Amino acid sequence: MDKLLEILRGVNPDVDFTKEKDLFGSHILDSLSLVMLIPDLEETFDIEITPADLLPENFESAETIYAMITRLQENG
Amino acid sequence: MYYFSYAYPIFLGLTAIAYFITPMKKRWGVLLAASLSFYLYYARFLTVFLLFTSLTIYLCAIWIDKIDACAALAKEYIPREKRAEYKNKFLWQKKAVVTLLVLLNFGVLAVLKYSGVASDSMNAFLQLFHVQAHFHPLPMLLPLGISFYTLQAVSYVVDVYRGKIKANRNFAQVLLFVCFFAQIVEGPIGRYDHLAPQLYEGHRFNWQNFTYGMQLILWGLFKEIVIADRANMLVSRVMDHYTKYSGAAVGLATLLYTLQLYADFSGCIDVAAGSAQILGIHLTPNFQRPFFSRSVNEFWRRWHITLGAWLRDYVFYPVSLSKPLVQFSRFIRRKNSSHLGKWITAGSALLFVWVGMGIWHGAGWKYLAYGMYYYLLMMLGMLFEPAIAKACKAIHLNREAVPFHLFQILRTFVLVNIGMLLFRANSLQSAVSMFFSIFRGTGASAITNGSLLRLGLDAKDFAVLAFSVLILLAVGLMQEKGVSLRRTVGEWPLPARWAVYFAGIFAVIIFGAYGTGYAPAALIYAGF
Repeated sequence: MDKLLEILRGVNPDVDFTKEKDLFGSHILDSLSLVMLIPDLEETFDIEITPADLLPENFESAETIYAMITRLQENG
Repeated sequence: MYYFSYAYPIFLGLTAIAYFITPMKKRWGVLLAASLSFYLYYARFLTVFLLFTSLTIYLCAIWIDKIDACAALAKEYIPREKRAEYKNKFLWQKKAVVTLLVLLNFGVLAVLKYSGVASDSMNAFLQLFHVQAHFHPLPMLLPLGISFYTLQAVSYVVDVYRGKIKANRNFAQVLLFVCFFAQIVEGPIGRYDHLAPQLYEGHRFNWQNFTYGMQLILWGLFKEIVIADRANMLVSRVMDHYTKYSGAAVGLATLLYTLQLYADFSGCIDVAAGSAQILGIHLTPNFQRPFFSRSVNEFWRRWHITLGAWLRDYVFYPVSLSKPLVQFSRFIRRKNSSHLGKWITAGSALLFVWVGMGIWHGAGWKYLAYGMYYYLLMMLGMLFEPAIAKACKAIHLNREAVPFHLFQILRTFVLVNIGMLLFRANSLQSAVSMFFSIFRGTGASAITNGSLLRLGLDAKDFAVLAFSVLILLAVGLMQEKGVSLRRTVGEWPLPARWAVYFAGIFAVIIFGAYGTGYAPAALIYAGF
């Protein structure tokens, strides 16, 4: 989780990602910042993220992103 | 004129009656019969293209489902060490099916839509080398709504491929998803998981849905008949004979075209959404007060929302996550991890989106230029954003203050108007010519000397347009503040409520631009 929070802080250092629960709704993340994030997530967690995973519900908060990473690692 | 013909209310009324008296489980059959009748009436023999698309997506989706079933079975029986190999094999099979489907459907769209421009460009190219060969364009055949239903149909198969939904084994239901009458003309481009269950599930008559639907239809009629058809009179007079005009006339025509396009497209969508809501079906919103946008990025999140979302999900994401682009992105960011690195990688993926956005709108270089115009604006905005933020901080300019927001809205409005000029012009050359002609000829004096009243609209027409814009603005402002006007009006006492309804009905009847002296304009997006 710490690694993920570090990557997220790289997107926007002013946001407290431990508290934010609606990253898309509050425009902290958008489609552009999302695709910027993916190569870092793939490299750090050794996963493959496909367009099918790019659902708003997977990127609502740090917890949902972490849950998606865990799921992809298990299925990988 | 589709939703704005005199026959449409009768068609909608009969469909609604048949829908609500049919047993619940068979109501989707009424929608299918109504949708096919509507389509056949307008498209006639071109309906074969719609049937072709429906049949190909129906078969390909089932094919992908079968590959998935084989993959699941193989997972159980194949030794663990060979699973990855088989997984890749099945994945490639699925990719091949999707590729085939995309080539078939976009191939048909490309041949029907772009063969004219392709043959003209080829002939012009050959002439450069004094070659005598001549390509003849195919006859102009453009089935109603093909640009909309092709995207919707392809999204269904891609969603099955991605495992988001299961393939539907009922061809008639798939056909209904493609040809539902309330969205076949100009969208909104629906997604299977949102739209299809609503179409197949029977809905009970609901008084609130009925009144909200009727209100939306009335609002759409107001936008189309009072605003768009009236603005079109001046717009077509000036822009179709642009060499005769300059200065304020062209500037005003540009502003009115922006108004016309918004009123026409969003008005048509309102009638479509209202018609669907009467039947208990909620279409995806396609507009969200775009002229309150503070940037062109935001404008495109609020204007033709379903096309933007389609391009995001089926072009931008796959291109961004494709292996070559991810590798390129890592390479660039290793060399330059700063803002510039991100800008280059984002720009690479966005290029595909904006080329797609441009050519989706039509055949012709001006549409490509239209897409590239917004691409350049976005790329420049992204590139200079950190520098602008730093500069604003240095001069203590509060970017969240109301005056700055108003400046951003005005700037976006001007940029969008330039885009609209490009969109409406008969060619790229005429767009450039018209743009520069705004800065020549009569300026403010055109307002006082009465020359603007000789462009197809009289003083009464201008007054109606000005008042209508004020109404649009007031409604937009209230909606921006989160006020649901339909709910608010619906909760008013009966006399007040009906006073508003009658005012709307009479506004359309009295101030509608129809009858002697007016020529109804074709729906702009139905031409795509």
